[in-house]
Amino acid sequence: MLPYPLLLIYRNFKRFKSTFFINLIGLSTGLACALLIYLWISDERSFDRYHTLDGRLYQVLENRRTAAGIETQTGTVPLLAEALRREMPEIELVATTTPVPFFPKFTLAAGGLHLSAVAKYADPAFFQLFSYPLLVGTPATVLRDKHAIVLSAALATKLFNSPQNSLGKAVQWQMGTDSTQTSLVAGVFARVPRNSSEQFDFVLPFASFKDRMQMSETIKWDDDGPFTTYLALKEGADPAQFQAKLAGLLKTKSTQAQGRTLFVRPFAAGYLHGTYENGVVTGGRIAYVRLLTLIAGLILVIASINFMNLFTAKASRRVKEVGIRKALGASRAALIVQYLTESVVMALLALVVAVGLVQLVLPQFSALTGKPLALRWEWPLVAAGLALALGTGLLAGSYPAFYLSGFQPAAVLKGKLPTRAADVWTRQGLVVLQFTLSVLFIVAVVVVNAQLAFVQRQPLGYDKAHVLRFDTGGKAARQQAAFLSEVKKLPGVVQASSVLGGFLGGRYVAEMSWRGKRLAVGTMLVNYDLVETMGLHLVAGRSFAPQYRADSAAILVNQALVAGLGMLDPVGQRLDGARIVGVVRDFHYESLHEKIKPLLLQLDPQINTVLVKLQPHAEQATLARLQQLYAAYNPGFTLDYTFLDADYQAQYVAERRVAVLARYFAGLAILISALGLLGLAAFTAERRRKEIGIRKALGASELSIVWLLTSSLTWLVVVAIGLALPLSYLLMERWLAGFAYRVEWQWWYFAAAGLGALLIAWLTVSVQAWRAARRNPVLSLRAE
Amino acid sequence: MIKTENLEKVYRTEEVQTKALNHVSLTVEQGEFVAIMGPSGCGKSTLLNLLGLLDEPDGGSLQLLGTETSRYSERQRAELRKRSLGFVFQSFNLIDELTVFENVELPLRYLGVGAAERRQRVEQVLEKMQLLHRRNHFPLQLSGGQQQRVAVARAVVNAPPLLLADEPTGNLDSASGHDVLGLLTELNEAGTTVLMVTHSEHDARYARRVIRLLDGQVVLEHSRGQF
Repeated sequence: MLPYPLLLIYRNFKRFKSTFFINLIGLSTGLACALLIYLWISDERSFDRYHTLDGRLYQVLENRRTAAGIETQTGTVPLLAEALRREMPEIELVATTTPVPFFPKFTLAAGGLHLSAVAKYADPAFFQLFSYPLLVGTPATVLRDKHAIVLSAALATKLFNSPQNSLGKAVQWQMGTDSTQTSLVAGVFARVPRNSSEQFDFVLPFASFKDRMQMSETIKWDDDGPFTTYLALKEGADPAQFQAKLAGLLKTKSTQAQGRTLFVRPFAAGYLHGTYENGVVTGGRIAYVRLLTLIAGLILVIASINFMNLFTAKASRRVKEVGIRKALGASRAALIVQYLTESVVMALLALVVAVGLVQLVLPQFSALTGKPLALRWEWPLVAAGLALALGTGLLAGSYPAFYLSGFQPAAVLKGKLPTRAADVWTRQGLVVLQFTLSVLFIVAVVVVNAQLAFVQRQPLGYDKAHVLRFDTGGKAARQQAAFLSEVKKLPGVVQASSVLGGFLGGRYVAEMSWRGKRLAVGTMLVNYDLVETMGLHLVAGRSFAPQYRADSAAILVNQALVAGLGMLDPVGQRLDGARIVGVVRDFHYESLHEKIKPLLLQLDPQINTVLVKLQPHAEQATLARLQQLYAAYNPGFTLDYTFLDADYQAQYVAERRVAVLARYFAGLAILISALGLLGLAAFTAERRRKEIGIRKALGASELSIVWLLTSSLTWLVVVAIGLALPLSYLLMERWLAGFAYRVEWQWWYFAAAGLGALLIAWLTVSVQAWRAARRNPVLSLRAE
Repeated sequence: MIKTENLEKVYRTEEVQTKALNHVSLTVEQGEFVAIMGPSGCGKSTLLNLLGLLDEPDGGSLQLLGTETSRYSERQRAELRKRSLGFVFQSFNLIDELTVFENVELPLRYLGVGAAERRQRVEQVLEKMQLLHRRNHFPLQLSGGQQQRVAVARAVVNAPPLLLADEPTGNLDSASGHDVLGLLTELNEAGTTVLMVTHSEHDARYARRVIRLLDGQVVLEHSRGQF
């Protein structure tokens, strides 16, 4: 025997099968979307949260007042950790580290095996601050010795067969074009979790980096630094008080540091809230979390509206029941509870289906989002699922429950639904809302795709095609010039050069002055032939060339720099002591989100991130030759390369994901809305059955009947389009504002979205309308 | 049991205002079997709806079981309905999705009676109505007469002091009609006050007193035998 509410649902299902399925499909797809988004969001929110000290773990940041406003940076001076440890008793642990993107991959060698791996330098407290469990070694001591090296379990296994086996073994390593060093394995950590914002393969003592760079042993507060400093406050220490104390620190240390303020942010917050504007946190990845939460909410609203509309539409068949129940003494509250229970049980049923759907599409969704997501039946997921179903059930059931229970029993006991203008308006309003959201999604899809196409079309100021990028290491790095000149001679190679940290991405920015004008200028350290390799366009002067010995003190600048400083004849001018020898046309070294900023190119032939321009159509053969040459320099090393084109596309990974997700969600929103419209059309056709019969008996054509039924619903969609277009303009304008270079609005974006929605609505409604129109009028009239 | 004074009900549409009941004053004593008669549209059903608290009067007073109810809230009216009133309708008004047993059980559910007691009382009343063998049938599987017997069973399962019947034989053949009227008489003899709306002179003969309405007003009251 089923419980009472389930029994009622079961019997209602038997009576109204199509409505039941429309509701089930609508609610379950809506819930499946919401669950998928929940999985994605909870993964995003789990980033950097796994550390035992989470809650007390902070990163030190600095706000700097500049001419352009306050700039926030994660870089801190090298010896900050030691100074803070001395001066701030609230601190339990503190460590300075080098950020992972700071270096190209290091090369490691042991027992004849060569590997490239990602390195990080860190102070001794690193493994106490962060929870990377050590399989070998103890957290407090593992980085104490300057000659220690701590490997990941995977790296230790590759080099020495097992973590345990690696303890005390010698590893030779090389940083860039530097000479080879030897360290002894002092510890091995389990792998860095996937949900860590930083991924690295081994850790070296920061003390050894200090030695190597011949850094001062005493802190210089005026220095700049790219180093990151992390700390854990003692238990019970008040973060606000600590924050206030830290804010005043620099001012007491240096007269030149008046415009600079140190502050801390919770370590785990950095992943989602990493963007600062004028010293205030303005967002970061949290924007996508919010966007997807909004989308999940909207899809659930659309699905709930379906439920409401179909429920109230078939209410004429249920009002009599309301009357009877009320006559028998049911209070309004009892009826509200009954209908809400019904909708909640329905939502729970939909949840079961939704879980099945999620299982089905999870592999594709994981691939799409680049996250290996899984349904793990732990209480947060179960609670979230139940909460979603409960919320949706209550939302979806609220209107029918209050609507149906509000009738006077005498008015509805005869089974006739009193038509109230407010109800008709509400029902139509709900359809309008559904289609407004659908049109909004369609416009979003069109605009996001248009912008992505624009990103592909936009002239970048350089030629990204057929350019290979890799970091040299070993002998190739030590003999960089010889290696590069041999690369250039390879058949199939057009040109080769090198650039610090790769060609794309933000640059180190410093303020420069010229004739009293100050300007923030980015610096790109480059090798000879970069202009030629990348197809940069010289608008004045010349490129770097070995025959000009003074080029070591020369620079190239871009047009943005020339314009920013108001130079009329830039070639030959001196900027902070360096002579300008050429001007390159502005090129997009950052993504199109960023405006092209003033940039100077400075010569440094030691740089080991190599760019090689290949002849088209012969890439594979050329690549093989390049690998051969590399192997001759570095036996046992593998050439780890990427194509610049792929690096370029990687800048828009987030947008591409948004584009695909928007497409799917738009599809679902439309599907669910169309289902709702289908149900409503069926209801309208049923309600007007007698009218249709009379009209046909009086000679109306089938087509005129179809028009009769479609026109009223068409108006609703037209109103929805009217509402959605300005709304979508506002929303997408905000999204586009994130790009410094963006598409212009085209009238057909709106036309396509509007027509698309209309077509879908017509197709949906006309199926029902035709069926109604073709019915024999005699049957309709007799039934009355 | 029932006392109305100047009871009024007005139906309004945008353009027309219809007085369905015009200053109706009447009294029904406990234990009576009263028939309300009159032609279609005279306000019989409106009166019954008001007496059954299914609708709100627009004026006058309505005392049920000694209490004034014309200003009752929705909740108070529901409370009184479930404790003290039973309804039998012309179109039976059974819930199609519920079985005979579940239909009869409904008033007890709303009274919060426990499952075991519910079963016992429903079975008792179904037995009395000779419907026990139909307990798991759905209304649409029964004849009209059987459906109306189910409706009567449902109306009396919580032993209300007042039973309101709106054309209880209107949809029945004469044999079934006779059955149902017999049931009402039995209930009345057992102490239940019965108020029945009918336009059938034949049915009215089962009542001990007849109130005649015309155009929303009481035009005549007389007892059985004075037809």
